[in-house]
Amino acid sequence: MKTAMYAIIKKDFRGIAGNRRLFSSLFIVPLVLTIVLPSVFVITIHFVPDDPDIAKMLSLLPEGARMESMELTVSGMILNYILPVFFLVIPIMAASIMAASAFVGEKERHTLETLLYCPLTLKQIFQAKVWASFLLSMLVSLISFTAMILVIETELFLLSGRLLIPGVSWLVVMLLLSPAISLIAVTLIVRESAKAQSVEESQQAAVFLIIPVILLVAGQFTGLLLMSVWILLGLGVVCAVLAWILLQKSTGRFTYEKLLQ
Amino acid sequence: MNAVTIQELSKTYPGGKEALKQLSLSLSAGEVFGFLGPNGAGKTTTVKLLTGALAPSGGHCDIMGVNPNAQPEQAHLLSGIVTEHAQMYDTLTGLENLIFYAAAFGLEAKEGKQRGESLLRELELTEAKDRKLATYSTGMRQRLSLARALLHRPKVLFLDEPTSGLDPESAQNVNQMIRDLARKEGITVFLCTHQLRYAQEICTRYGLINRGSLLASGTIEELRARVFNSKSLHICASAVPEKLNFVKCGAGEFETRIHDKKEIPDLVRKIVEAGEDIYSVTLMEPSLEEIYFALTAGRKEDGVI
Repeated sequence: MKTAMYAIIKKDFRGIAGNRRLFSSLFIVPLVLTIVLPSVFVITIHFVPDDPDIAKMLSLLPEGARMESMELTVSGMILNYILPVFFLVIPIMAASIMAASAFVGEKERHTLETLLYCPLTLKQIFQAKVWASFLLSMLVSLISFTAMILVIETELFLLSGRLLIPGVSWLVVMLLLSPAISLIAVTLIVRESAKAQSVEESQQAAVFLIIPVILLVAGQFTGLLLMSVWILLGLGVVCAVLAWILLQKSTGRFTYEKLLQ
Repeated sequence: MNAVTIQELSKTYPGGKEALKQLSLSLSAGEVFGFLGPNGAGKTTTVKLLTGALAPSGGHCDIMGVNPNAQPEQAHLLSGIVTEHAQMYDTLTGLENLIFYAAAFGLEAKEGKQRGESLLRELELTEAKDRKLATYSTGMRQRLSLARALLHRPKVLFLDEPTSGLDPESAQNVNQMIRDLARKEGITVFLCTHQLRYAQEICTRYGLINRGSLLASGTIEELRARVFNSKSLHICASAVPEKLNFVKCGAGEFETRIHDKKEIPDLVRKIVEAGEDIYSVTLMEPSLEEIYFALTAGRKEDGVI
């Protein structure tokens, strides 16, 4: 039934693309987090005078983290330690826009019953809904990453004549941690969406999932969680396993009757 | 094998409402079965139980041997379902909707498009195929739902009030299509309606339900025989001999009750032998509506019910 699941994913994608209000709100948060904020950081670092306190702090860094100028060192730290956390926020927010209405949106439009009358198991319908939201979130994430790198590198090149190479942690974040956390969030939101009676109720439930990630962002800014690549990798694997288990087990208690209530 | 089998099927909703009480029925392949009853009688609950959308509280049902509660996806492959609450996507066009559902039923893209276009043609929706569903009238939506239900060539078609909202011409068109589906393609039709005259036009057998209980089932002749043990014979004649027990019901019009149509030739012979002229003889058969009201009102003629 791959064709059927693919059809649902395609239809859900089209539904978002055809809804201008949703489509524009999909790009506002990534735009602020990956274009506006990094630009503010890069430009501020360039124009502020050399601060002895910052220089003292930077001298504490290991040799490998230091670069030829304070500007490049601070920019590198922001690029490799602060910005990756935004890529945990972006996919969750992007996914929540679509995932929150996955089932309840169909219920409100009276199309859920028709969808349930297709020759698919509830698990297959659930998984199609999860994949649609997940793929959308990954697409937004990838576009945001490309745009962010282009903007930052252009700004750095214009301001200091140098380019920064993103660290290995980006690979772990973009290819493992971000997809895994996004999949967990999407699965939980889609599950809530199946129980909710309105899209608003479902979105309210989704907001709670953002809180731990926002705490992580705050932690990263205050220097609490300067994670090494290996910790990130371990965290990524744990999240990926958790995401897979959730995806397999989430439909256990679903019945047609409960969904249509 | 029966196309649909229902055995002592019951459904009590979580609130305690007993929507269906030990319903037993069976439908043979190619039948157009009219499931008739007022709103809230249990018709939609029965369809939902037969399509796996509800779990029964008791009893059993199957569609061509497949239990819709245990294997809903298998049951959905065998059945096409049109209900008031099963709508399609307003943001897609008529044809796009059909292409989506064809893919959801596992049809290849090309086959789905061809099948969709052919059904749109049959249901006179070709001109509207590229219009968004949001612009469709109720009748057009209803016809598109029928097209959607037929995409995968189902063996059993569940229709819940399929002609509500249709103009007389479209309703006639849909009726003809349902009749053809049953006759030519052997599709079994389970049709729920409260429009009794409409049901009488297309159904081959009926089940009458009220407050979750089946009142009676059978062909119209069987139901007539079950509910009324006599029929009304209406004769227009110059006069009728008194000994024949006719009641005068107008100028030159007489009526009597008979038990079998075989009594008619003898009555006519006696009137003619008495030297009277006969202008017309009509056997008044009770309509489905009359049978239904007799059953729901608990009216019993000679305690036959």
